Amino acid sequence: MNQLVQSLVDAISAGATLGLAALSIGLVFGVIRLANFAAGEIITASGYSIIFTWQLGWYVAIPIAIIIGVILSLLMELGVFSRMRTATPATLLVASFGLSFLLQRVYELLFTNNVQTAAVAPELARTISVGGIRFQLLSLATIVIAGVILFALIQFLNKSIWGLQLQAAAADFRTARLVGIPASRVIGLSFALSGILAAAVAFVTTVQTGAVGPTFGVPIVILALIGAVIGGIDKISGALAGGFLVGFATSMLASWLPSDMSNFRDAYVFLLVIVVLIFRPSGLLVRGGTVRT
Amino acid sequence: MNSLRPTWERAVVSADSSQALVGGLSVDGLEVSYAGVPAVRGIGLEVPAGHAIGLIGPNGAGKSSALLGIMGAVPRSGSVRVAGQDVDGLSPEQVVRRGVSLVPEGRHVFTGLSVRDNLRLGGVGRRAKEGYTETLEYVLELFPILAEFNNRQAGLLSGGQQQQLAIGRALMADPDILMLDEPSLGLSPTAVDSVFDALNAIRSAGKAVLVVEQRAEFTVAFCEKTYVLHDGEITLELKPEDADNVEKLTEAYFG
Repeated sequence: MNQLVQSLVDAISAGATLGLAALSIGLVFGVIRLANFAAGEIITASGYSIIFTWQLGWYVAIPIAIIIGVILSLLMELGVFSRMRTATPATLLVASFGLSFLLQRVYELLFTNNVQTAAVAPELARTISVGGIRFQLLSLATIVIAGVILFALIQFLNKSIWGLQLQAAAADFRTARLVGIPASRVIGLSFALSGILAAAVAFVTTVQTGAVGPTFGVPIVILALIGAVIGGIDKISGALAGGFLVGFATSMLASWLPSDMSNFRDAYVFLLVIVVLIFRPSGLLVRGGTVRT
Repeated sequence: MNSLRPTWERAVVSADSSQALVGGLSVDGLEVSYAGVPAVRGIGLEVPAGHAIGLIGPNGAGKSSALLGIMGAVPRSGSVRVAGQDVDGLSPEQVVRRGVSLVPEGRHVFTGLSVRDNLRLGGVGRRAKEGYTETLEYVLELFPILAEFNNRQAGLLSGGQQQQLAIGRALMADPDILMLDEPSLGLSPTAVDSVFDALNAIRSAGKAVLVVEQRAEFTVAFCEKTYVLHDGEITLELKPEDADNVEKLTEAYFG
């Protein structure tokens, strides 16, 4: 029983992290149809920033990580994607692959191929006991952080006029422009929010690993992209739910697969993804059978 | 079936069209093509303030392309002037800020958002922030159903209510020129009547109205002038008194 509750909490925590990462991708995709693979490099940049600045205190390190995430995200938009407005989603995806590899090489040049380490929030690495059940404090903290961010994001999207503009653009970009919503403003906003979410993902992952290398964000973004697609990348809530599901399933499989099979954990996750996509090609949360084009 | 002879009281702001054009729309030599295939071939029209101008024609005649071209939503050539000012090279959102709003074909309300939020979004394209509350009051007075269903998700409204919302959303930008692409499409006769009653009130309030429609007789009777568009060109100009003979006239023309 104890083990089940512990693994459930760990799985919810892993799901929350990937949910945020998938949301980071889904917000941008909703507006300009870009599945930004280079979102992984935003996570990496914020991760490096946390490692290098943690000694200055969390109240310095976390805002800097967010600022770096937002700036890098906006630079990607201004430097690359804003110049490709008429490109197809496939072309945009390939461009984001190119950008991702380029940034990984830049990180290698700047910080070498070795991982950079620091004890980030070591107080979160311990376990606590609640009612006789032991939990990793980080898992609980991750769930709380993700919950707070999600609550704030939902409030922003539903209550503020900027959030409504973003929702309108994600639902129907052409009509949004005909209504008078400035395209550049909502696109910039989606990249900025994506950067904030990437920084949050970088924080919880850095606390977990204490080490950041040039490809730190890659495995996260691969799973997040998969999650976003199976949830329905076309809808913000779909991306979030799909990311959560993939993180949850991955963590549960890690806890419950027999040890001689745990090497194949990702294979089981991808098998699940294939099954979902065969039966729901547009994603789990998208009504109807086709993705909006 | 709607009456072929609606009895709207025409409230023309000024018979002198040069004066009325101060707040109106003037299009000259408008051309729109998709991948080299022309959809609109050099049309010209004027929509004075306080007037309704119709654009009718068969499917594929270029009616919607003309409206999208005026908005700058598709690449175009030719001149589009709003209140005497050139809007060439402007994006759709900039054209909205010059005082032109389009109610797109199929309504395209934001179905996942509430009626209130759809109207709020319509206000984003306003030229001046002042007067927002007055415009909202005007819209809710014009379409009382929107006040009643203020918190309802737009996707749950009927087709006619969604059309009212789409027009209300466009009016929230406080445009001088309101363009509508097939506002009667898919609506019941009663819903069509209420939409055109509202358009009449909007015209009477001094706005310029450009309406693309499939219902020829209805449109000809409603508008001060209606152009027939065929294969991207204006081929015929009709007056309200031609409403009874629209079929005969267009048949005689197109064979």
